[in-house]
Parts: sequence; structure tokens; C-alpha cells
Amino acid sequence: MKNVAVLGVGMSRFGMWPDKSNADMGREAGMAALGASFVGHIFAPVMSGVRVMKEFGLTGIPVQRIENASATGSAAFAEACWAVESGRYDVVMVLGFDKMTAMIQSSSASTDSGNLEDAILPAGFFALWATRRMHERGTKAEHLAAIAAKNFNNGALNPMAQRQSKEKVTAEKVLASRMVAWPLTTMMSCPIGDGAACAIVGRPELARKLNPGRPVVKVTASHLGSEKYARGHLFMGPVVGPAPMTVDGAKSVYEQAGLGPKDLDLVQVHDAFAIEELEYYELLGLCAPGEAEGCIERGEFALEGGRVAVSSDGGLISRGHPGGPTGLAQLWETTLQLRGEAGPRQRKNARTGLCHMMGGGSVCVIHILQRD
Amino acid sequence: MKPGYFTIPDDPSEPPRLLGTKCLTCGEHFFPRRAICARAECLSEKTADVEMGPRGTLYSYTFVHFPLFGSMRVEHIGYGVGQVDLPEGPRVQLPLAGKQEEFRVGMTLEAELEPLREDGGNDIVIVRFRPVEAGR
Repeated sequence: MKNVAVLGVGMSRFGMWPDKSNADMGREAGMAALGASFVGHIFAPVMSGVRVMKEFGLTGIPVQRIENASATGSAAFAEACWAVESGRYDVVMVLGFDKMTAMIQSSSASTDSGNLEDAILPAGFFALWATRRMHERGTKAEHLAAIAAKNFNNGALNPMAQRQSKEKVTAEKVLASRMVAWPLTTMMSCPIGDGAACAIVGRPELARKLNPGRPVVKVTASHLGSEKYARGHLFMGPVVGPAPMTVDGAKSVYEQAGLGPKDLDLVQVHDAFAIEELEYYELLGLCAPGEAEGCIERGEFALEGGRVAVSSDGGLISRGHPGGPTGLAQLWETTLQLRGEAGPRQRKNARTGLCHMMGGGSVCVIHILQRD
Repeated sequence: MKPGYFTIPDDPSEPPRLLGTKCLTCGEHFFPRRAICARAECLSEKTADVEMGPRGTLYSYTFVHFPLFGSMRVEHIGYGVGQVDLPEGPRVQLPLAGKQEEFRVGMTLEAELEPLREDGGNDIVIVRFRPVEAGR
């Protein structure tokens, strides 16, 4: 990918906002002046994308909804980037919004015995990944707690984060929080929330023209892939386990951008549960298989003093995970960091960032952004 | 063959079996049933329905400290969930019967039916796995 830049980003703080509509949040996150719009939402009703886009004026532009579970915003961003790269549009807005709180309230006890996701809490599935890791590698709950504590403390520096702790969060506090699905506690799990986030992509010369003097952030790699069959693949319930598609996706984006994991200054991952972030360190090549626990103990992925900052904005665990906008929040964070506009959580001289999202455990979307 | 994901034996003392598919070209087994072999190297449409289990090996487990969605039964306030490897090959993700202390990776389990709630005179049942007691 050679000819795509992020022209702008915006967010509406994630949280539980019963009095805000999707349109309110979408308008807060978005901006106008566009060639087309790709809208991502999971839980909102049919045609919500077009309706929310009317908040920006009715201009006749193409509006297209894209959905891919947790990876919805990232998948919409990927399509927008390829639409610009291919020359189809000069500027595309990617808007993600969702009210997960409304979805939870409307889903009644209508369990279909064939649909496990209706019966079992998502944390239950991801806890299976943690138990297996503990069995194979001797991982401790303390390692998961350390990841969550790091993300909470990063999120405290992010004004758009849903969970902002006033005092420093310790691993002990994470371990003492309520057990959801052993060994995962509430503080090792992302919260339910509402929110919106937006990114506008276009040709790099437009970025230079619109904001002369401001660093230009280019999208240099974009990958969207689904699972390949391997023995042990789970066809019912979300796929949890060491997913080769993250490895394949990482290989693809490193090749596209002509760099490797050692060149990354910051990384955002799908840390809906702390065990996921631990596994993605290895699957993205940030460390070798079996080394994640040691890296956590040495603080190698800390915002301050770490060799690469992971979940610098608090991740899904602290910044939040409303659904449609989540992947765009990662791109918001990465763009601010690469421009040097991330305030108290700024990584010094950040030049290269990677954003990774999973959708339903069955699709993987990865982008690399670089300061020009 | 009966519809759905598992058999409901006429004899209540008989364990249910999982309904899956065997690829007649490469031999791979799948759960639940499917029309086309999922292996990228195969993709054969020559498949057959098979019954699998009822026993399997515990690959991983957890214990969820929240109610089972859709259940009206008090014992479902907390419940086990496991990934179970069937001898035919597939790995399945299902609720577990028993306490957390009873589960360990590598143990043998057996499928059983579990009523979730009554709906218009019919029991809504799910399949779950229970650790096999020593000597059974």
C-alpha cells in the first residue's frame, strides 16, 4: 500500500451512555467533506449507517455498511484504504459506532442449543485459552494480571478511555477483582460500553495540503484474513486458541511495509481478555514462542521503558470495546502517537505502529501506520 | 438420522452421541455436520453423517462464575466449560458438569444430556460433558 494517508481521526469517549444515541456519538466522532463513507456497526438496526451519516449533511455520497464482529471498524478501515489506493475515491470516512449496553438489554433468554454463544459468557471461551497456556507453559494468573494492570495505567492517561483509574492499578488489585471465568477476573476482561470512533483516509498529498507542517501518517500495510482449517478448529462458539491467521496476517503486513516486528514503536491488539494480549505478543512476532511470560516480568511492553508499547491507549480492557468503533479507536491512538499528539502517553519519537483486531475469533485484520 | 447436534437416546441411561460428518475422500471428521470437507487441500463433497463420542479427552477448561444464559436452574449459576477432543478428531467446546476442582487437562469425559428449562411442556436440553469416574 503506497498511496494512502490518514487525514483525520476522532472519537467519542467510550462508556455507558444511556442518553446518547448512535447518531450523537457518531457526530461527535466524525467530520465532514468526503468522497464516500464506510460505516461499521454490529448491534445497531439495519440502515443505521446511512441514518447516522445524515448527521453530517445529506450530500448524496455512497454510504456502505461493513460488519465483521469485533473487527468491524478495522475491516471498514481496510476497505476504505484499498478504495483510496485503487483510485476509486480520493477521501473516505470510516465511522464506527455501537451501543453494546442496548444490545445486552434487548437480548432475552432465547437460548438455541445449537448456538453456544447464546449460552456461554464470552469470557468462558477465552478462559479456555488461558487454562491451556497455563498447562503448556506454566503461565500464572499474575502474568495476566500484570498485562491488565499495564493497560489500566495506560488508559488512565487517555481521556477517551472508558475505565480511568484515579490511582495506580497493581496486579494484586486485578487479581482481587471479581472472578468471571477462572482464571479471568473482571479487570482482566474488557467492559461493556457504548462509543464511536472515526478515521478519514485519503491520498497523502491531500494530507499535506490540508494540514501543512503536520506529520503525515501513511497506511503502509493492510491485511484482512479468515481462518484456515487445522485439526482442532472449533466450528461452534468463538474460535479461541493460538490462531495461525494472526501469524499469517503479521507476515503479510511486515512484507507489505518492508519491515519487521523489531521496527515497531507501538502495537494495539485485540486484548478483550488479558490472555489474548499475551498470545498476540508471540503470534505477532514481538517475542519468540514461550517468551511472553518473561517479557511481561521484565516490563518489555510497557508504555514507559518498554521496548515496544502494547495497548498504549489502555487497550480493549481499559479504553473499552463497544464493537463497531473499537478498531478505529486503535487507529485514532496510533495516528495521534505517530503525529506526536498523544499528550501524557506519547511514545518518544514514535514512527511505526501496528493495529491488530480479531472478529469473532474467525477473522483477523492488521494495519501498519508509519510517519512519513 | 435425527436432526440437530446430538442424539437423544430412548434409554435415558444411555449417553448421547454427537452428530458429525466424515469426509469420505480424506477421512477427516467434523462437528457439527457439514456438506463440504473443510480442509483446503480436500474440499470434497463426498461426506457422510456419523455419530461421535460419547467419550473424549479434556483439552482445556474453565469455570464461569455467572449464570448460564437461558437457564432457569439454580445449579447453572456457576458452570464449567471445556474443550473436549473426540477420539474421531474434532475438538468441541461445551459446558461441563462438575466442580472446578474435578477438572484437569487430559482427563476422560463422557457426554450427557442436561435439561435447561421447560418450554410449553417440552424440555429444552443441551449436551455437556462430565468427568468419567475412576473404574467406570
